[in-house]
Amino acid sequence: MLAQQLLNGVVVGAVYALFSLGLTLVFGMHRILNLAHGAVFMWGAFIGYFAVTIGHWPLWLAFLAAVAGGGLVSVALDLLVFRPLRRHQGDEFGTIVASIGANLILMQLAQQATNAQTLRFPFGTFPVVFYNLLGLRISLQQIVILAAVVVIVVGLLLFLFRTSLGSEARAVAVNEQTAMLLGVNPGKVYFASFLIAGMLAGAAGVILGIAFNTVTYVMGEAVMLQAFVVIVLGGLGSVTGAVLSGILIGMIQTLTTAYISTELSDAVVFGLLFIVLLIRPNGFFSGIHTEYRVA
Amino acid sequence: MGFMLTYRPLFDLICIYSVLAFSQYVALRAGLFSLATPGFASIGGYAGAILLKDTSLGPVLSGLGAILCGVTAGLILSLPLAKLRGAFQSIATIGFVQIMVSLTLYAQPLTGGPLGFNAIPKLATTSVLVPIVIVLVALLAIINRSGIGRAFDAIRQDYTVAMSLGISVSRYFRYAFALSGAIGALGGCLLAYNTYSIQPDIFGFPMLVIVIAAVILGGRAMVAGPLVGTAFLIILPELIRPLADARLLLQGLLLILVIIYLPQGIVDSLTHRWKLRRAMRPARSEQPERAHGLPSA
Repeated sequence: MLAQQLLNGVVVGAVYALFSLGLTLVFGMHRILNLAHGAVFMWGAFIGYFAVTIGHWPLWLAFLAAVAGGGLVSVALDLLVFRPLRRHQGDEFGTIVASIGANLILMQLAQQATNAQTLRFPFGTFPVVFYNLLGLRISLQQIVILAAVVVIVVGLLLFLFRTSLGSEARAVAVNEQTAMLLGVNPGKVYFASFLIAGMLAGAAGVILGIAFNTVTYVMGEAVMLQAFVVIVLGGLGSVTGAVLSGILIGMIQTLTTAYISTELSDAVVFGLLFIVLLIRPNGFFSGIHTEYRVA
Repeated sequence: MGFMLTYRPLFDLICIYSVLAFSQYVALRAGLFSLATPGFASIGGYAGAILLKDTSLGPVLSGLGAILCGVTAGLILSLPLAKLRGAFQSIATIGFVQIMVSLTLYAQPLTGGPLGFNAIPKLATTSVLVPIVIVLVALLAIINRSGIGRAFDAIRQDYTVAMSLGISVSRYFRYAFALSGAIGALGGCLLAYNTYSIQPDIFGFPMLVIVIAAVILGGRAMVAGPLVGTAFLIILPELIRPLADARLLLQGLLLILVIIYLPQGIVDSLTHRWKLRRAMRPARSEQPERAHGLPSA
């Protein structure tokens, strides 16, 4: 029973990791805490939902549409909100405030489009097949989710550490001015990182939407809370940190939901955030680059 | 008189939300990236309501008890957060707000859960609210002129410089957290004593947006800023009725536009311009006098 819960937790946690990666990447590189990231996630889920129900698209195509849609929303956020703010010398606090505004707009649009209803994918969107693995029940869905997350994370690491755009991105993360002097176009890097972050969020949105079979305009808020803990625990800006702590948070949340209560699982997760901030605010993995202390 | 009767609830609402905006203002003024005000308000609202109805403390002591709970919450939050940089403070305080919503939903025997805490006597009428707001404004103005206020200013503008001037940033962050907690709890308590009933979700994301928008719009330096911002945000949808449905969309848009194009807010930008103009004008008229005065000095 415990092992079964842990397995379920790993699957959910892998999706949290996917979502948190975008958040931690954009923060680690550009010092932008994008509080509208949860809304991008929610839009990914909506795009996937409407592609399946209205467009009658096959699931893989709907998934790709959600990924592309998430990327598009995220890039639009950068172009319409964060770029004008940068041009007017907005500071770190300015980006937080602006992203709160953007989050509100994206959530309101989704609320009005759906009349605040909870949407459910039609039965059989994903074939319900179960396998027995060493006495554990694992569904085809869970296998596909884990495989997709592994592929995406490996792809992201290859991009960051094996391509020239990836090294330009890491140069901007260390120091944007110096990178510019070395001939890096920061605009290109901003575009790439917001696109990737949005695509990851869109993928996470449609996966979680199908896995829990609920799509609502508030679904981004809950996952943001988990992601906060994930990125702080993993160290702001760290890819491996986000993946490992995402899985850890998924397991903790599943266990508290199973053995204590659903409402209290949020409180347990937040308590963890508080303790991490108290004893090791830099997280447990080294990030791309973060200064965190004030005194 | 008819005018006053119709708009009295609106006026009360402006007073209460001004208090909440002041809680956010204190944090931002000190350079703290805290967004914890709705969480403090939740603590204050429920503490005030429970103390009033379930004990025999009476309204004044219950209110003070609520404020004490807010101060405690602020100090607890400041344990890890007073030492950390901005983004961490935002992350943890947004988490705090969400946790307060789910905890008040969960603690049904104490708070009434999703049904809310009901039948609270209406004690915070206009004649109570106005003096409270006036006293609060005076208090904040005094703090602004004191050493604490100057330290807050220095930290907000550049905490590295503030540290080099010998200001203990984390100590002043702790003060700001405690003060923000006290005022936030007072605001929540007034809301509970004014509206008969409180539910967990009124202390959530929408309240966070209103208070932060009020302070950003009004201005982060002068005490008048949050007052102007709150009045604007609450009156605007009433004036333009067709916009009432799109209120939240409009708030989001306003937040983005103001932080990009008017980052100092209305009041601070106007004061800045006025000070500049005043500085330019005497420069012309005083110059000759000073030239006369120089030889004798």
